[in-house]
Amino acid sequence: MTDDELDRILSRTDDLEPSSGFTRNVMDAIRREASAPPPILFPWKRALPGLVLCVLSLVGMFVAELMRLGSPGLHQSSGPSIWVAIGTFLWTELSDLDGLLRTANAGGLGWIILALILTFASVTVPLRLIRRGI
Amino acid sequence: MARIGRTYEGARVSASDDQSDVEKVLAGNVDSFENIVRRWQGPLINLAYRFCRERGRAEDLAQEAFLRAYRALGQWRKDSAFSTWLFALATNVYRSELRRIPVGIVSIEDVSEPRDPRADDNTLETHDRNRSVRRAVFTLPPKYREALDLFYFHEMDVPAAAQSLGLPEGTVKARLFRGRELLRGKLKESV
Repeated sequence: MTDDELDRILSRTDDLEPSSGFTRNVMDAIRREASAPPPILFPWKRALPGLVLCVLSLVGMFVAELMRLGSPGLHQSSGPSIWVAIGTFLWTELSDLDGLLRTANAGGLGWIILALILTFASVTVPLRLIRRGI
Repeated sequence: MARIGRTYEGARVSASDDQSDVEKVLAGNVDSFENIVRRWQGPLINLAYRFCRERGRAEDLAQEAFLRAYRALGQWRKDSAFSTWLFALATNVYRSELRRIPVGIVSIEDVSEPRDPRADDNTLETHDRNRSVRRAVFTLPPKYREALDLFYFHEMDVPAAAQSLGLPEGTVKARLFRGRELLRGKLKESV
């Protein structure tokens, strides 16, 4: 079959006329849309102080917990040196990977990770199957 | 091209009508959108039908496209024709809706029309062959089918098809070439 033949055949259409109520249906939907109240925006201005307070509290709790766990230098630290001390403390903890893993395992980290993976899979697999039309 | 060609040509002439109706709608006169719907419902339904081959669904898709167009009317930049913007938006809606709920996949065996016993009549045979070709397009992978659909919908205008698909012209040309090759292969298999 030549290109011209294909062009000729495919250029023809099935000539669909809109059904009688089509315009009315569309306009009904448009009017509903137009008369619907605008979506309520999230009140960022009101929520911001609370969010800032939450973040500050978390940071405060984190620092307090670090101090409680007790790096000797940490209790005396203040000002910018406290961040150096926190960094040193974290570095010391993280470099002891074996101990860290043991601690994590004792807290059931393995189960938590497994649960997260299962949750992720149970959401993504069905979505992919739906997209492929299976 | 029968009615759709004439409608589309006629609509193209009315670019200033489109602009004035859009301005009225944006100013708060929702009823002016009806003029846009009346002007473009034929082309949009026929374009949707090329994508899904179901009359009812084509109307649903076209309605959704009009609704999205209404919501996004303020985003039409006026640097291109309203029709170009509307077709690109509608194509986007149709593609994403069909990705969400695909049309049943048909094999070429299903596509081949059963031979009519009266087919020795030349006109009937031609009619059957034409229908087989059009339905075979439907079995192509979406990216080739969409390129072919838009190319013929836009009266074989590659730049217009490229704009509707949001693709470079070269990509559309390559997809058209490959799509035609695949189509010939499928039709050869079915004979």
